[in-house]
Amino acid sequence: MFQKPSSDIALEKNLEKEHSSTNTSNSDDNVDTVVGPSVNVEGDFSSAGNIVVKGSVSGNVSTSKHLLVEEGAKIMANVQSGSATISGMVKGNMKIKDTLILTSSAKVLGDIKVKILQVDAGAIMQGKIMMGASSELSEKAVSGRATLKKREKTD
Amino acid sequence: MYVYLYDNFLSNKKFDAIVKSMEVRLTDYGIAGKILRLNNFIDVKPIIEDEIRRGATTIVIVGNDRTFGNVLSRSATCKVTFGFLPVGTENTIADVLGIPANVESCDVLSRRLRERLDVGWVNNRYFVSQLHVYPSKIEIEYDEKFRVGSVNELEIVVCNLQPFFWQTDKKDRNQVMVNPKDGKLEAFLRPAKKKKWFGGYNYEQASVFPFEEMIIRSKDAFSVEADGKKTKEKKIKIKLAPSRIDMVVGRGRKF
Repeated sequence: MFQKPSSDIALEKNLEKEHSSTNTSNSDDNVDTVVGPSVNVEGDFSSAGNIVVKGSVSGNVSTSKHLLVEEGAKIMANVQSGSATISGMVKGNMKIKDTLILTSSAKVLGDIKVKILQVDAGAIMQGKIMMGASSELSEKAVSGRATLKKREKTD
Repeated sequence: MYVYLYDNFLSNKKFDAIVKSMEVRLTDYGIAGKILRLNNFIDVKPIIEDEIRRGATTIVIVGNDRTFGNVLSRSATCKVTFGFLPVGTENTIADVLGIPANVESCDVLSRRLRERLDVGWVNNRYFVSQLHVYPSKIEIEYDEKFRVGSVNELEIVVCNLQPFFWQTDKKDRNQVMVNPKDGKLEAFLRPAKKKKWFGGYNYEQASVFPFEEMIIRSKDAFSVEADGKKTKEKKIKIKLAPSRIDMVVGRGRKF
């Protein structure tokens, strides 16, 4: 009658059964990677799906999809992603293919290379920013210089 | 030839009517076959291998989530098609596979729509439904690339076929359905703090990591439950064995 409450998650199933008909988010393609608060991740962290960071990551983060860094979260290395929304802190260079949104609580200490940048009032940035066509041009220029050097060497 | 593995609980009078009507339906479809009754002391693998030698083409599990896990965790290596007829309550896996409970499941079996399913592998054995590591001081290494740790104790649930629901609080109704054919396992981990009063734990927000290989280590032994079997380990290696099981599934499957 007076059983000690166990840590078994299965106990929660009773609650879930009540709610089973209410709300189900069916992830058809893939489950998002979520780094919860009070969890520390060390090492290079990559995923094929979306990434949500609520805790701290000390290592490179890369994804082809969306990266969301929530308020209070920290990333202490380089970031590479398809698009990103930053509300926390990033200490490292960022390379974003499409859109980067920096909210009012964002803090980025490092260089940013992005196609479209949206910055809210209050966001802090320290570093170089390369945007849109200019970043592509600079890449082309670098590759062009490299081919010229190769040709000179062969001649 | 079809072979039916009945769980022990089906001998309860409560299920007599359902089992009989299922047997009638199977006979109507012309797929009735040999019936074997399981109990806690039977090792399923040699029995299935014996039946395959005698010409069995389809092994049908009749029972609930627990029966499904018990049979397939031991016989995932057997080269045969598996079917599932869910009976009674505790049938979350059947829902994922698109198989309705009780008599209607015979219709799905007769259609023979087949899919290959992924299986989890932990320390030399398979698990089909779920693996649960109870709260303890552990360190986790994913795909030999990154490590995850926490100041508090960590609880982990690795999902394959059985969906896992977590709630940060009673109001949270967000449920995640796990796709068994996505080529990855999903690990849900959440830091747990011991309550000061009445035992139990206070859980923090969960983290989710899809992975192919994971190593869990600890200085002290921690308890692990895979497909209902509890053990104490100091180090476990969890891997994905892709497309291991040939399974008859329903049209309404969730993958």
